Amino acid sequence: MRQKRVCLAWFVLHFLLIITFSCRETLWLIAQGPTIFPPSFKRFSQRAERSVSAALGQRLAASNPVRQALATYLHITGIESGYGYFAPNVPGSYKLVFELHYPDGRVEYELPRVNRAAAGLRLAGLLDQIGRTKYDALREILVKMLAQSLWREHPDVKTIRAVFGSIRLPSVSEFEHGKRESYEFLYAYDFSLRDGPGEPENP
Amino acid sequence: MRKRLLEFLFPAEPDTWLSILRLGLGLQVTLYSSSLQNDWNYLLSGTGTGLISRDLAESLLSVESHFVPRLGWLVALGAHVGLREEAVLSVAWFCLLAAGGGLLLGLACRSSAILAWFLHLCAAKSGGFLSYGVDNFMTIGLFYLMLSPLPDRYSLDWRLRAYRSKDPQFFGFWRRVLQLHLCLIYFFSGLTKCLGSGWWDGSNLWRALIRPPFNIIPPEILVRWNYFLPVLGISICLIETGYPVFIWLKKTRMVWLICIFGMHIAIGFTMGMYLFALVMIILNAAAFGPGLASRQAESTCGQRTEMAIR
Repeated sequence: MRQKRVCLAWFVLHFLLIITFSCRETLWLIAQGPTIFPPSFKRFSQRAERSVSAALGQRLAASNPVRQALATYLHITGIESGYGYFAPNVPGSYKLVFELHYPDGRVEYELPRVNRAAAGLRLAGLLDQIGRTKYDALREILVKMLAQSLWREHPDVKTIRAVFGSIRLPSVSEFEHGKRESYEFLYAYDFSLRDGPGEPENP
Repeated sequence: MRKRLLEFLFPAEPDTWLSILRLGLGLQVTLYSSSLQNDWNYLLSGTGTGLISRDLAESLLSVESHFVPRLGWLVALGAHVGLREEAVLSVAWFCLLAAGGGLLLGLACRSSAILAWFLHLCAAKSGGFLSYGVDNFMTIGLFYLMLSPLPDRYSLDWRLRAYRSKDPQFFGFWRRVLQLHLCLIYFFSGLTKCLGSGWWDGSNLWRALIRPPFNIIPPEILVRWNYFLPVLGISICLIETGYPVFIWLKKTRMVWLICIFGMHIAIGFTMGMYLFALVMIILNAAAFGPGLASRQAESTCGQRTEMAIR
């Protein structure tokens, strides 16, 4: 009976966390929009999301033991994120192209690559994260790391220009009228071995 | 009320579902590690020899919590005994593969489940920028598996060792946990999809299928079937949102499970997300698969009796 009580207590806490985090993500998605709800819902969702986050200790200092303990539990159980995959709308994807400039003036183009398709899906996820991050510094560091991985394969390259863009997908009717996917320039970074951090160039 | 709740949460169940979960996750872990064999060190290296530095993901993870398992712990431990990072990562990969094999055979079930959960979690968290949905669901499945009353009757442990879990109510409890978690997963997944207009007119399904790297089917073929896209989009919303209701009803359970399997098989083949599809099928098969045939027969039999009485 005692074991059952322990299981029951854990069950209540565990599912309370799952439900609360899923509700928070749903509110966040509505707040980010666009959704089928009228725009006036956005403000309500933002406020509600903030309240739920506060209730979950997400507004506490990062070093707070309660927040740290909760984060640890969420990560080890796999419930730290919601389940809104491809929701409410399917986002576009991103593309990163490297221009490799050789000392003799030659230019080659390369894409970041991995060996197997399973890792390829992960690489696409990485590009999505680079594209979606709000932090310019983080974006630049990640692009720089990818450029460095390429540099190891081409040690004689003088400079690398990384061009990051989003892929614009055509709608069904656009596709029927001959329009295909297109690329929109977002950022460019120039890297050289001696210069250190690249200089970003925004659209 | 309390009694009914306890009866619901602790039903006496056989361990068939646990066998399915163990075998399924054993297969999943084995395929997961095999699929990353050639890229493992490249994706998870922290010394500037990989794709991106593992140290960055681990530093960001530390902002959230210092206690979430990560490969950096193992690398630091290896450094104490003179092992290089590459060697530690290779050993971790091999141990994960062995844990998957252990689960498949049912050998040292509990230890294999704990090892698989720990190493997979380390890899998923250290490769934070490279993780996606499949990692979450593997963590969820492996977490429940390692806490469940192993070994099950189809494991080698059952045959070779004296210790056996006997209380069928705990088999029932952990099955309920998995069942209810799946209900929440599908409900919120469906609900958030319903919020987007693109799922009602089929445009989101179109975008999902032509979006690199999921664009396995040429758009020229897809466009011929574009009239079906709204129907499929709405069906996905309804199947997912309706899951917490219709999966419990005897009459609709089989249909709903078939629809869910169909949806995940389609995701696997049309978008190339084989591991994601497999883990979802395994979790569903373990949670709602066992006893389905007998319940269906019971339901049909009940209907016939009812008709005969009328």
